[in-house]
Amino acid sequence: MKNNLDRRTFLKLSSSATGALIVGLQLQSCYRKEEAATQYAFSPLIRIDTDGWVTLTAKNPEIGQGIKTALPMILAEEMGADWDKVKIEQADFDVKYEEQWAGGSYAIILNWDLMRKAGAQVRYALIEAASIHMKLPTNELISNNNRVFHKISGKSMPFEALLEKAALVDLPEEVAFKPVEDYKIIGKPTPQTDVKDIVNGTTSFGIDISLPEMLYATVRKNPVFQGKIKSYNEASAKSVFGVLEVIELNNEDYGGRLLEANSPNFVNGVAIVADTTWAAFKGAEKLEVEWDNTGLRKENSEELFQRFYKQLSETKIERKDGDIHKARRKAAKNHEAIYEVPFLAHVPMEPMNCTVHFRDNFCEVWVPTQNPQAIENGLMKLFQLKPEQIKIHLPRIGGGFGRRYYGDYAMDAAVLSKKFGKPVKLTWSREDDIQHDWYRPGSVHKMSVSLDSQGKVIGWQHILANASRKTSLGRDGRPAGTEIDAYDFPAGFVPNLQLEYGHVLSDVPLGQWRAVAASANAFPVHCFLDELAHMQQIDPIDYFIAFLGPARMVPVLGDYEFDNNRFLHVIEKVKQISNWETPLPKGQGRGFAARKGAGSFIAEVVTVEVEANGNLNILRVDAVVDCGIIVNPSGAQAQVVGGILEGLCAALYGEITFRDGATVQSNFHDYPWIRMKDVPDVRVDFIKNNLPPRGLGEPPLPPAIPALANAIFAACGKRIRKLPIAGQLLN
Amino acid sequence: MPSYKLTINSESISVEASPDIPLLWVIRDMLGLTGTKYGCGKGVCGACTVHFNGSPIKSCTMAIENADGGAITTIEGLVKEKEIMIKEAWIQLDVPQCGYCQAGQIMNAAALLVNNPNPSNVEIDNTMSSNLCRCGTYSRIKQAISLAAKNIKQ
Repeated sequence: MKNNLDRRTFLKLSSSATGALIVGLQLQSCYRKEEAATQYAFSPLIRIDTDGWVTLTAKNPEIGQGIKTALPMILAEEMGADWDKVKIEQADFDVKYEEQWAGGSYAIILNWDLMRKAGAQVRYALIEAASIHMKLPTNELISNNNRVFHKISGKSMPFEALLEKAALVDLPEEVAFKPVEDYKIIGKPTPQTDVKDIVNGTTSFGIDISLPEMLYATVRKNPVFQGKIKSYNEASAKSVFGVLEVIELNNEDYGGRLLEANSPNFVNGVAIVADTTWAAFKGAEKLEVEWDNTGLRKENSEELFQRFYKQLSETKIERKDGDIHKARRKAAKNHEAIYEVPFLAHVPMEPMNCTVHFRDNFCEVWVPTQNPQAIENGLMKLFQLKPEQIKIHLPRIGGGFGRRYYGDYAMDAAVLSKKFGKPVKLTWSREDDIQHDWYRPGSVHKMSVSLDSQGKVIGWQHILANASRKTSLGRDGRPAGTEIDAYDFPAGFVPNLQLEYGHVLSDVPLGQWRAVAASANAFPVHCFLDELAHMQQIDPIDYFIAFLGPARMVPVLGDYEFDNNRFLHVIEKVKQISNWETPLPKGQGRGFAARKGAGSFIAEVVTVEVEANGNLNILRVDAVVDCGIIVNPSGAQAQVVGGILEGLCAALYGEITFRDGATVQSNFHDYPWIRMKDVPDVRVDFIKNNLPPRGLGEPPLPPAIPALANAIFAACGKRIRKLPIAGQLLN
Repeated sequence: MPSYKLTINSESISVEASPDIPLLWVIRDMLGLTGTKYGCGKGVCGACTVHFNGSPIKSCTMAIENADGGAITTIEGLVKEKEIMIKEAWIQLDVPQCGYCQAGQIMNAAALLVNNPNPSNVEIDNTMSSNLCRCGTYSRIKQAISLAAKNIKQ
């Protein structure tokens, strides 16, 4: 892993900052001349003030995953800060922080060493300074609670008394990290940084930004993907009180595809600029407009899925181990099944929005985004700007789940602000959000297995056909992306294995959805394994354990090995805590699935009841998680529960469909989400170890889906091979 | 432009607005109280919940002309002792994830606890099921309501 917060880069970049004193080799002489310094910035991430407060910078976008708390906790731990005397500031987007994005459950993985190093360097400087002041050897000193202590006498000095001398210490490149056994902050359940502001309603989300003279805007979008504007009647929108301007936003007039090669910069439509968001919404509704949808595919779900089914027989092999055909001929039994997974929308609670103030060739942006770099790149290309002409603020974000990886709600806001020379807040309606999402692709999976006379799996074939998010909206002949790859489970566990992908081109915008491909692929894989267990009348967990084989490192591809030791451990533990072997009343059943994701191992058991009339109640979920060191147990538990609920909810009702090239669903009434009365008791157990922390945002989600479907089979004998489950159980 | 009188967080004000503008947008865009959130615009997600004459309503579906003369409390005005105890329970249990729906959740919970200081789990479920949380903080919300009820009683 590259240490991106290069110290020299930081010094160069931050020496222009006013007020704070930047400490480092190059600046030491200038530091000495400055008598009245009250703030000592040891790095872009850590500042200590002479009033004793430590200010830590939270560098990544906070979308509800708790990273604004977790990363500063690591810094505070290593430097020996007092969490009650720490202030946390959200970083703007800035090249000096690099890797400033939210996705793939990567934040802790990518920043663990970076945060520890930044914290440990400051601890080193403070201890060196204390050693001079206290005339004691450094190896007898420790830092804790914003003080440096002498381990033997207990004498101590506060950080603020050490700053001047600490500032002169050259921070070492190699620095020892604190032993895990000494952790005081990491591993302690810690409330979110913004929790007080959230409950008081004073947190500013992107949608809450307010600037002097700000205009409010929305865009009446062509509902058909990639459709254009034929004509519109400006007066129809201007008849609404508060509507100020009506402007055509045709993507091709503004750079086409600058943000992503496979996507327009924004959805074509007519912008309504007004004095309130509501006037803009109403103006958009009243606008009389004719769309131009000539030459488009005009997708329909049924026809699209037919294309997926057809593509099952025209595929590219993504991985081939041994010979599945030979295994099939040798097998005592062959079995196959087809599974179907729907398209899904993200629906974060905060609808898409972006506020831009474009003035004097300077573009200032407040945007709830998981991917600020993409937005900066787009703005640079769209307006021929240099990075120093763009400032992107990263307000707290009301959910992302992958939707905010795409920046198609930012470019049009910038176009409007530039046009009017005033700040513009562009807000999407919920209908816009659901109808112009980057959907999780639907897919069809053909699963085939060969068993020997002992029931052991000797051959495995998984064929996946769908439109790939990697070639979303693509008709330009670019190579097909895949939604299954050579690492997909159970690669490495079966001697004869073939993973194949059938690619279908589509006009539907497709993107990352929490857990990405695993959100779809876990369902067929782990339900199919459950089918095999029941077929042979073997307990599904016992069958899965036998399938995995002995505890060992399993070579999968190249250097990548699957740690079957840790995997078996979470499986055995979930079997125990879920009372798996205790019989249930008639009509109830338990289902199991386990996955590895983002370096973490998760095993889940779902317990359900299927009533005689087909009514489904999810009674309980047990999860065992091994994610290595748990930085913030409160946030970690929340991520696991949230991921499981999202999986269950998607399995129960999640489905987006298309008719005549547009999305059918439009709001929470026809794209429902789980409510409190349907939420089961979710019990999460973490394995305690000192291994490096791994991701948690995504991994809990995928196993919840097959575990639920498997529980339904155990309860009533109905095998779910198509999602969503909604309606399938009713008599 | 017609003028409407409102009491908002104990302060009397008058606003000039189009009769059909929903209270939500008066609160957010005209009065600058952004703690109340837009989520669906159809009264189905609960993010915009405020108290109107003491009862929880979805402010995105109440036009200003129907709110004339009413007393409104938003999350920013939820400052009575018992209400603060609810917020404290939320903090103690670290309820929010993204946090966007939480103002609406707290407003609904506060109204529930005024009318029913000792709600059962089923009563909490039924009342709170009008509020959507996309991150899945429901079980902590439920625990926070029970904790607040317990603390208020003492």
